[in-house]
Parts: sequence; C-alpha cells; structure tokens
Amino acid sequence: MTTVLTPPPAITVIPDRPRRPWLIASWIIVTAIVVLAFWSIDINWARLADLPAEIVRYTFLMFGSPNWEQLPEALWQTWRSIEMAWVGTILGILLATPISLLAARGFGPASLRALLRGLFSLIRAVPEIIIAIVILSVTGLTPFTGALALAINGIGTLGKWGYEAVEAVPSGPIEAARAAGGGTLQVLRWGVWPQVEPAFWSFWLYRFEINVRSSAVLGLIGVGGIGDMLTSYTQYREWSTVGVLLIVVVAVTMLIDAVSGAIRRRIMEGARARVLS
Amino acid sequence: MTEATPAPLEIPRRPSGAWRGPVILLAIVAITVVMCLPGIGIGVDLSAIARNWQNGADKIIKLLMPDWSFFPRTLPPLIETLQMAVIATAIGAVISLPLSFWAARATNPNAPARIIVRGILNVIRSVPDLLYAAILVAMVGVGALPGILALLLFNIGIIVKLVSEAIDTNDRGPLEAGRAVGATQTKINRTLALPDAWPAFANQTLYVFELNVRASTVLGLVGAGGMGLLIDAVRTFYRYDQLSLIILEILIVVIVIDLVSDAIRRRLV
Repeated sequence: MTTVLTPPPAITVIPDRPRRPWLIASWIIVTAIVVLAFWSIDINWARLADLPAEIVRYTFLMFGSPNWEQLPEALWQTWRSIEMAWVGTILGILLATPISLLAARGFGPASLRALLRGLFSLIRAVPEIIIAIVILSVTGLTPFTGALALAINGIGTLGKWGYEAVEAVPSGPIEAARAAGGGTLQVLRWGVWPQVEPAFWSFWLYRFEINVRSSAVLGLIGVGGIGDMLTSYTQYREWSTVGVLLIVVVAVTMLIDAVSGAIRRRIMEGARARVLS
Repeated sequence: MTEATPAPLEIPRRPSGAWRGPVILLAIVAITVVMCLPGIGIGVDLSAIARNWQNGADKIIKLLMPDWSFFPRTLPPLIETLQMAVIATAIGAVISLPLSFWAARATNPNAPARIIVRGILNVIRSVPDLLYAAILVAMVGVGALPGILALLLFNIGIIVKLVSEAIDTNDRGPLEAGRAVGATQTKINRTLALPDAWPAFANQTLYVFELNVRASTVLGLVGAGGMGLLIDAVRTFYRYDQLSLIILEILIVVIVIDLVSDAIRRRLV
C-alpha cells in the first residue's frame, strides 16, 4: 500500500527581508563616531598631499644605497634584542606558570582566583613600554630592564592562556591521579601536565615571537637593542643606515617567526597524532 | 582447536626519545645562562638592583599616590589618542576589505597576484608600529598624522591576514554555485563571498580597534601624538605621581573599550 503524497503548495509569497534595526543603529553610531573623530582631530590634512612624493623620496634615501658598513653593529644590537626577548620569555614562564595554576579552577582558592585573573587583565591592558618606564628607576637603563618588563607583561598573557588550558583539560586523568592517592602536586604532574604540555610549549614559543617584536620597541626608551639604534639613527636622519636597520628587523623577525611557527606546528600536530593513536 | 599458550610476559620497552626532554631543557638553560652573562649577554646585575632599591621604592610610593590635579592636562591627549585609534581603524578597515579578497585563495584564483599581496603584507607586519611611528615622525613631522599612518600600516597587515584566512575557511559551496551559473569572479566575490566574510571582518576590525587604543597611548613617545607625548614629558622629570594617573586613565579606557567591544562581538557572532 502506498500513499500518494501531495506536493506541498508552491510558495508564492517572497519572505520579507530580515529587518535588523539593531544593525542599522550600530552603523549610524559607528559612522557618527568616525565622522566626529575626523572632524575634530587637529591635523593639517594638506600635508597628506605631498605624502606620496615624500614616501618615494625617503624610500629611495633608505634603500637606494644602504650603508652596509653598519651591518655588523646592527646584527649585534639585534642579538641584544633577541637576548632581551629570550630572557624575558624565560622569566615570564617561571613567574607565570605557578601563578596560572593558582588561577585555574580546581587548583587554587576561589578568592585568589578572582584576584589573579584581575591582575592578568590589568597587566594585559598596560603597554610593556610603560612597565619598562616604571621599573627602570630600580633596574636602570639596561637590557635587563627590558627583559624584566617583557617578563611582567608576559605574566598577563601566559597566565591567562595557562589557566584556560588547564581548565579545558579532560578530567579523567586528574580523577585517576587523585584516586590513586596523589596530592595536588602529583595530580598536576601526572594528571594535568602531560595533557597541557604541548599547548604550553606552543604558548611559550608564541610569547617569544611577541617578545622579539616588543624588544625592538623597548629600545626606544634607551634600554638598548635594535630599537635604540634605530631611533638614534632616525634622529640623526642617517637614512642609509635606517634602511639597513629596517631590513635587518624585517629579516630577523620573519626568520624567527618562521622557525618558531614551524616548531609550534610540529608540537601541536604531534599532540593531535598522540590523541588519535 | 589449538590451546592458547600464554605469551611470555614481557614489559614493553620504554618509548625511545626519552633523552630528548632533558637535552632540550639543558640546551634552554645553557642558552639562558649565556644570555645573562655580561659582555656577550645582557648582563644581569642583581647588585645594582639592590643598590637602587631605595631610589626605586620612593618612585613606587609616588606611583601609588596619583596627582589628581594633573587630570585636566591629560584630557586633550587622551581624546587625541582615541581619535587616532578611531581614524586609523576606519581607514584601515576600508583599505583592508578589498585587499583581503585579493589575498584569499577562494576569491582570487590568480596565484601570483595573491602571493605578491601576501608577501608585502608579511613584510609590513614584521615591523612594530612604534618603529613605523619613529620613522614617520621624521618624515612628516610631529603630530597625530604620523601616528595614524603608523597604526594604519599595522592595521592593514593584521586585518588582511585574519580576514583572508577567514574567507579561505568559509564554505566554498556558494562560490561554486555562483561559478556554475556563470558569474564572473567579481560578481561571485561581491554577492556571495562578501556576505559570508562580514562577521569575520567586523570582528577583526573591532579587535584591531582594541589594539589601536592600546598602541596609540604609547606612540607619542616618539612624537606621534596622543597620550605618549605626555608620558614622555612626565618621565623625563620623574613625575611618577603624574605617570600613575596616566597609567590609570589608560587602564580605564582600555578596559572599558574591551568590555564594549566584547558586548558588540557577542551580538555579532
């Protein structure tokens, strides 16, 4: 026995266009803010007219005949910047890892948790160069100040990523470790650490990449490194040297990003492969 | 029927590569030690910190007592900072949208053109915004203009990268359908890829705006306008009580803007 299905009546009415008053309102607000900003800012827009010609002129000054004699000094200062970034990363890891565990649900007291999370977002809101300005009264204008500023800034990001990763971990191994009589430290070592290790390595490498960029910037306040050299030569208007420095910054940053990115991908792929097998 | 003979008990061998962990750790420790040495490294001098401790403690006490009377003078730079962030984000978003379509595989089948755009943007992204600002100040003079231009370069680099990646991960079905009915690539991009890319684009623009507010507060350190000019002024006079007021204001502005854009983002996604 088969029942004949009657086809549903053809739809003849075109449905209304969805109306989104909220979207329109936000568009109006955004436009108003942008117009207001343009209208009220104190800028001589006429200067923009000769900007293209200036850019061409300065590009030629910088890269027309780069002053390669400064290359060894540039590489040495870059090395300093990388050292700052590295030491800052290591210090940041040492400071942030225990704190981030305390901030994770299940491992720290609840009152401390809220406090630490507030601290992390507070640190993330302050640019690292301001942290450097604050601490240089104690540590002086040395590259170590830069490293310390990067480390403190790293607590904000590493701390947040850390507790998020620890909280996202499946609870099975943790329960197993607890059931076998493990204390908090043993639970962390055998229940949590094996699960979060690849993610942590990946965070650390990523933080190193961020620090490499930031360490160049920290030179601006005089803690040394490639940023220091770049600002001085910009102030002397020695454009042929500035060109060399820019080339070095771009090349080194891209190289470090590529290497660290490749390692991160391998770590994360290895982690996935281990879960699947 | 064969009797199952129990296999001789054998402990599986330890997985190879157990040496790797300690070796990597040792290498990291060695590198760190070398980098901390004076001369070749950055020279960690803890005794200097001990000596300067008193000096620093005074400054930190000053930090804890903000100079509230300084507030009126911080307002104009604070507003300029926000203006710079808004303008740079707006221009950056307008320029980035077409470039994102240019840099995505799904919307630009022309590989050489795509690679050129991506390559240029990779180079642009690898220079920090403050270094751009330092150079642009020398080029176009002190003020908000070099700051906006520096933020602009930074914005285009980030938005195009993130949005073009989002376009590439979007569902290809609609684009194929468009191709099947004979639309040109331009028509496909405008009518099919664009609506799909909107949420990602709006999301990344908001994200970049947050970054810009943060970055524009310090661009003035090199003369590019905004709050940084003031930071530079108070730091040369070691007015840490005024510096702490500035930091407080930056904190409040950044956190408020993060909260607002978080709320908007939740509505969007």
